[in-house]
Amino acid sequence: MTELIQKIIEQFPVVVGSLNEGFLQTLKLFAITLIGALPLGLLISFCSKSSFAPLRAVTRFVIWIVRGSPLMLQLLIIFYGPGLMGFPVWGGGQSGRFWASAVAFILNYACYFSEIFRSGIEGVPKGQQEAGQVLGMTRGQIFVNVTLMQMIKRIVPPMSNEIITLVKDTSLARVIALQELIWNAEAFTTTSHGISGAIWPLFFTGVYYLLFNGLLTLLLGRLEKKLSYFQV
Amino acid sequence: MAFLEINHLEKHFGSTRVLEDISFTLEKGQVLAIIGSSGSGKTTLLRCLNFLETPDQGSITLDGKVLFDANDPATRAKQEIRKKRLHFGLVFQSFNLFPQYTALKNVMLAKELLKKESPDYKENRKAIQEEIRAEAEGLLERMGLSDRMSNYPQQLSGGQQQRVAIARALALSPDILCFDEPTSALDPELTGEVLKVIRGLKGSDSTMIVVTHEMEFARHVSDKVIFMADGVIEEMGTPEQVFDNPQSEKTRQFLNKSREEY
Repeated sequence: MTELIQKIIEQFPVVVGSLNEGFLQTLKLFAITLIGALPLGLLISFCSKSSFAPLRAVTRFVIWIVRGSPLMLQLLIIFYGPGLMGFPVWGGGQSGRFWASAVAFILNYACYFSEIFRSGIEGVPKGQQEAGQVLGMTRGQIFVNVTLMQMIKRIVPPMSNEIITLVKDTSLARVIALQELIWNAEAFTTTSHGISGAIWPLFFTGVYYLLFNGLLTLLLGRLEKKLSYFQV
Repeated sequence: MAFLEINHLEKHFGSTRVLEDISFTLEKGQVLAIIGSSGSGKTTLLRCLNFLETPDQGSITLDGKVLFDANDPATRAKQEIRKKRLHFGLVFQSFNLFPQYTALKNVMLAKELLKKESPDYKENRKAIQEEIRAEAEGLLERMGLSDRMSNYPQQLSGGQQQRVAIARALALSPDILCFDEPTSALDPELTGEVLKVIRGLKGSDSTMIVVTHEMEFARHVSDKVIFMADGVIEEMGTPEQVFDNPQSEKTRQFLNKSREEY
């Protein structure tokens, strides 16, 4: 037992250095997914509510595909698919793997977000929109000035869920060998940075996820509280 | 020519006929009360005037200008609707204040957005903002809400909320202000304060159309009363004519019933 602890203490600086690097990649993927999927999700939610039936049908179909199949499968298809069809757009390096992951995550999460946005928009009473209309506001003005804030307030709890799930889902990118947190930890179980057969780094990744999600939970809770000055 | 002229307005929802051959006129500064039981089409009529519903037949003429004519495609164009809506204001039964804004901001918002589109907005931003704010404060003061301006709707009573909603509608100085059962969602206690405010608007050159269940209010405040039943105007006249000497059997029954309630 003491031997194991001693070993861990010895390995700790090297492992943490490597895990930090992986976590940085995880954070990058997390951030870019949010930046891309939030606006794209809003756009998809508009399309899925469109009065133009074909657009609505196509959108619902895409949402069905994306939500109905595993994210891991989507990662594989987006990363390997183009190359197999003769258009190797990603390249084999880490940067290609990162952007392929980003595309897969943004698409996947945008579809989930779009459904949350849709429910949030539909939850705003019709009278709010009508009040804007009789005051001569345009549709865009009504959305930005009336609906948006009320929608945001409504969707904070379900969005918090998705965002926390996203943090953990980033680990799926290891399936296309993106060197994120889990990948880097797993490398120590074979050999990495001169350390072989260490399994504790894998367990230790839990600390990163828990701390980061704890921080996010605090922030999202604060946002929810900040929006409690009005009722919807 | 009358200020407002409604001719042969008709509205269907699917196969249900909600409004049938509605025609009436209203002079500037007059108050029209529309009474009738639920489902008689009163609210739909107001919604047609505010272009929240599109009539299937008929025309709406205001101050000599045809705002809507079912047979003239040009007046049905969507882009024009927004401008036309500004001729009318609507106070809802359920207030429909914007919950995320203070009372003052509720009153200011629409005007701010409208003014932002004027070409001189950027140069005179400050002055325009000041003006809008001063006007909104004046309106809320008139509604007896000087000390409630920075409150959010959820912090106000129903009566106060409805008075903010009236100020909000007045902020755009509509030619005709419509009220859709403005006190139906309020306790009797709060009803009084809202009716008082509406009464106070009379005579200040406001032309108003009030859909109401408050018979005493309709009798004393209006210049003209319309009784609606099953989508048609069953009876129309001065308050004295309609309340004291109704010609139609349906009107008599309705009035008797509403008297029994007291």
